[in-house]
Amino acid sequence: MAEVQITGVNKTFGTVEVIPNLSLTVPNRSFSVLVGPSGCGKSTLLRMIAGLEEVSAGSITIGGEDVTHAEPSDRGIAMVFQSYALYPHMTVRQNIGFGLKLAKTPKAEIDARVDEAAEILQLGPLLDRKPKQLSGGQRQRVAIGRSIVRKPKVFLFDEPLSNLDAALRTQMRVELAELHSKLDATMIYVTHDQVEAMTMADQIVIMKAGIIQQVGRPMDLYNAPDNPFVAGFIGSPKMNLIEGPIAAEKGAKVLGVRPEHIDVSPDAGAWKGRLRHVEHLGSDTVAYVEAEQAGSLTVRVPGEVNMNAGDDIFMTPRAGSIHLFADDGSVTRA
Amino acid sequence: MFSWKESGRIIFLLFVSSLIVVPLLATILGGFKSNGELRVSPFGLPQEWDLQFYGEILGDAQFWRYLWNSFLISIMTVVLTLVLGSMCAYAFAQVRFFGSRFLFNYLLLGLMFPFAAAIMPLFLTVRDLGILDTPWGVVLPQVGFGLAFSIMFFRTFFAQMPEELFDAARVDGCGYIQFFWRFTLPLSTPILATIATFVFVQSWNNYLLPLIMLNDREGYTWTLGAMDYRGEYAAEWNRTLAFVSATLAPAVVFFLAAQKYIVAGLTGGAVKG
Repeated sequence: MAEVQITGVNKTFGTVEVIPNLSLTVPNRSFSVLVGPSGCGKSTLLRMIAGLEEVSAGSITIGGEDVTHAEPSDRGIAMVFQSYALYPHMTVRQNIGFGLKLAKTPKAEIDARVDEAAEILQLGPLLDRKPKQLSGGQRQRVAIGRSIVRKPKVFLFDEPLSNLDAALRTQMRVELAELHSKLDATMIYVTHDQVEAMTMADQIVIMKAGIIQQVGRPMDLYNAPDNPFVAGFIGSPKMNLIEGPIAAEKGAKVLGVRPEHIDVSPDAGAWKGRLRHVEHLGSDTVAYVEAEQAGSLTVRVPGEVNMNAGDDIFMTPRAGSIHLFADDGSVTRA
Repeated sequence: MFSWKESGRIIFLLFVSSLIVVPLLATILGGFKSNGELRVSPFGLPQEWDLQFYGEILGDAQFWRYLWNSFLISIMTVVLTLVLGSMCAYAFAQVRFFGSRFLFNYLLLGLMFPFAAAIMPLFLTVRDLGILDTPWGVVLPQVGFGLAFSIMFFRTFFAQMPEELFDAARVDGCGYIQFFWRFTLPLSTPILATIATFVFVQSWNNYLLPLIMLNDREGYTWTLGAMDYRGEYAAEWNRTLAFVSATLAPAVVFFLAAQKYIVAGLTGGAVKG
């Protein structure tokens, strides 16, 4: 069992309170993604789980064991960093085996475990190279290899793909998801990229200003966001959030509707608007519309729909896909 | 043909180079000349290449003793400065502790303290410690005065090391001290070579401190030994120049060995690597 339990954790740097009071359960064997905008405290939270930052108050348990004040190496965790943090003067083999060497593991066992990790990550031919002789993707694999050999209870990833180019990022995303199934371990992954969160997570934790906004499965967050922040953060293009008379008519402060949940017609509809800009993505077309009553809206339609900037169109939000966020924090769907 | 701008640049570079090369050549060539010829033509080529003075000096056991003393003192100074300076700077760069900024600035005050002004108290301290007339009498004050400068350079270099490297090592089970030996030092070759060279050359050429601390001729460094060829009324300049030329070699060899690291040390961290 490697459930991570965070209870009433508070973190301050001097007079700045980064995380006021946070509690969270990361289930055993889950792939949990902490996501939120820059400065929301997600990396700080991960570093507190790792033991790289002291908690100001509260407690952290891993697999039922209180590790609040334990050293990072005594927590049964392994961490992969954004900048890879490989040891530049060591070979790939030495990098991967370094933690085991420090733990005084017998050399034969170190070799066996390094070889096993190298096989999983296809690093075999690179074992005698130094980090500077590797590409970005290979470096990140080595960093992952370094975490695998320690056989940790929990893997921690701090934006590990953000230094890679788009194509490699997609490839590594798939590899990480496969690795999770193969290792069957608890993984906590920090990112600011909601696409990574949606595609990899079993559980997404959305944070803002050190406060958890919502926790749930990716499609639950997509279909039933608790507040406008979550609604706007999950989904690409982001949800249209409309305030003013249109929301007030429905008894809400904010009305939310996703771009893909708006039907478009040239003749009739609930809201009239003029196309400002159209992006043809092939499978889809994303249109940016200036609507008379609703303000700026984004609409996503199938790629075969012909649209041009300057055209007038009518839009109708699909029934059952409207999110109504009230002043008191309650939310209803219509 | 060179443009005016290029010609001006070349003339300027030749001028600057000559400021270094001419005295060096004059010193080496002076060792081949007679004293009379030195007076008439201090910079020209010797009329006759007389190897006598170089031969005498290189064949003199006392010369090698001077050289060995200088070498021993310089190496001891380098090793102690590197060990103490790097450990101290590491604490300032990596460990957060109360009063570190004040302590660091206090240490830097040493940079502004003129060596000559401390000669008297230094002499008394060295005498009281019972290390007068020993290499330690020169080494320890040299280390003391070299620390401020070396700590400043080491700290700047160490502070540029990526924090995530330390984080990764901590997760792997490394503490501060292990990180220092296993990561900080191996990754600091450029700054180690740079500071080692500066300290070595400074110690190798030091005259004032050995003059005050060393009274026994057996313990003299080469800078004191060079005075052997000066009498009360006359000086054997050709022998002195041959002597000085022969002592240049170790410092030059040390510099050449460390040169490629020195350049990296001086420019390291200037751009994202």
